[in-house]
Amino acid sequence: MAVPLIFNTIEQTALSTWLRESTSVFGFYFILLFHTIGMSLVVGASAVVDLRILGIASALPLKPLKRLFTIMWVGLALNVTTGLFLLTAYPTKALTNPDFYIKLSFIALAVITMRKMSIQVFDDASLDEMAMIAKGKAMAAWSLVFWVGAVSAGRLLSETSKYVLYGHLWGS
Amino acid sequence: MNYAHLHLLFNHFPIIGTIVGLGLFLVSFLGKNQDLRRGSYIVFAAVALMSIPAFLSGYGAQLMVKGPGVSDALIQRHQGAAMLSLWFVLATGALALVGLWQAQRTTYPPRWNVAAVLLFSLLTVALMARTGNTGGDIRHPEVRPGQTLATAQDTVTEGTIGAIFHVFEPTPEKFSEAVTFSKWWWTFMMILHFLGLIMIVGTVGLLDVRIMGFLKQLPTAPLHRFLPWAMAGLGVNIVTGLLAFIGLPENYIYSGVFWLKMLSLLLLGANAAVFYLTDIFAGVESLKAGEDAPMSAKLIAASSLFLWFAVITFGRYIQPLGDTLRPGN
Repeated sequence: MAVPLIFNTIEQTALSTWLRESTSVFGFYFILLFHTIGMSLVVGASAVVDLRILGIASALPLKPLKRLFTIMWVGLALNVTTGLFLLTAYPTKALTNPDFYIKLSFIALAVITMRKMSIQVFDDASLDEMAMIAKGKAMAAWSLVFWVGAVSAGRLLSETSKYVLYGHLWGS
Repeated sequence: MNYAHLHLLFNHFPIIGTIVGLGLFLVSFLGKNQDLRRGSYIVFAAVALMSIPAFLSGYGAQLMVKGPGVSDALIQRHQGAAMLSLWFVLATGALALVGLWQAQRTTYPPRWNVAAVLLFSLLTVALMARTGNTGGDIRHPEVRPGQTLATAQDTVTEGTIGAIFHVFEPTPEKFSEAVTFSKWWWTFMMILHFLGLIMIVGTVGLLDVRIMGFLKQLPTAPLHRFLPWAMAGLGVNIVTGLLAFIGLPENYIYSGVFWLKMLSLLLLGANAAVFYLTDIFAGVESLKAGEDAPMSAKLIAASSLFLWFAVITFGRYIQPLGDTLRPGN
């Protein structure tokens, strides 16, 4: 399958070129840093809620953990934003790599689970703690699986990409 | 200051520290002194942390002393000894932390833990003695038997005890190759390193944020039950981080931000020591929902949060800023 020409167009833009080539510490790695921080916020907060529902630190009241969802959404927003910048820098590299779509799928599943848990477990004031745990247990376990999948697929991106840039295979 | 200074600054702690720790630990059996035992456990944990910069700076020091007049074989032998003793000092520290954690509830660390700490600290003292000896041989020819000053030999003749140790010591080069043999294994280590990071930031970060006064509806005592998860994440990251360093030391030793990351980790250790070993911890150990923490605890929590983000930031920049300390740069 031919690589769409639009990737080349994006790579030629000033922003994309600057992100890749700037030697400033506020260039590519600055974006990557905030992508990592966003990840630690969204996955870290999710993991704590999931572990609590699965029985860790069971003396911790569950209801106030609802506020952790704000941290999760902030982390997610940060990562969507920084992710778009990273994609602007290397569109061919990401979008020709099947692993990139695996990563996005894991993130989509994790975020759907997160939202479902927020609405069905934490927003329902009629549930007591026991009922919240009963309802949330499977979601919590899946959430952990999806996030581990997303992080793993993310780390694998650099090892699995075929192209560096439009028309440039790795090592050519 | 250079790597050799740094190595000399840190390399005495693991050797003397484990001996002091073991001494306190053994004396604690007389009259079952639990305070002394707790003290020895804290020493073991601190020594484990200090052994990391001792080990890392050794790689840098090696580059500096390499050359005429210094035996490569002696360096290799010392490096092998250090690679072996490192894991034992870390295991002793980890076991001590598990014991301290369990003793929170039961006053005494469980019997299996005391036995394991005894075994590992004894082995660590022996291995550290060997590491210190082989290290001294590199630069102190006056202590080498049958050597004239400034003789650089290519082979090392081991005594009986040395030969026994040597059987278990890895060959540095082979160890490095084993870590980097496959890019998939490397990626797997990096995935674990990220998951460890997430566990630390999620659990420690939440406790920090609560103590600082956000999310005050959460009582602190149950939040603290997540600590073993943070420690597990830290353990995974120390192991994967050290393996990555052993695999590709050149990627790290010339990077200023790498050393800043290590400095931040040592400061986190100091921060944790101030938190747990003073009255500050007692003041926030069981805050109920809505209760405010004292200012001293808030400062410790804020430093912890700040330093963890410093660790992430410096870590992320190791790759682009990997050469800042390379000679001629």
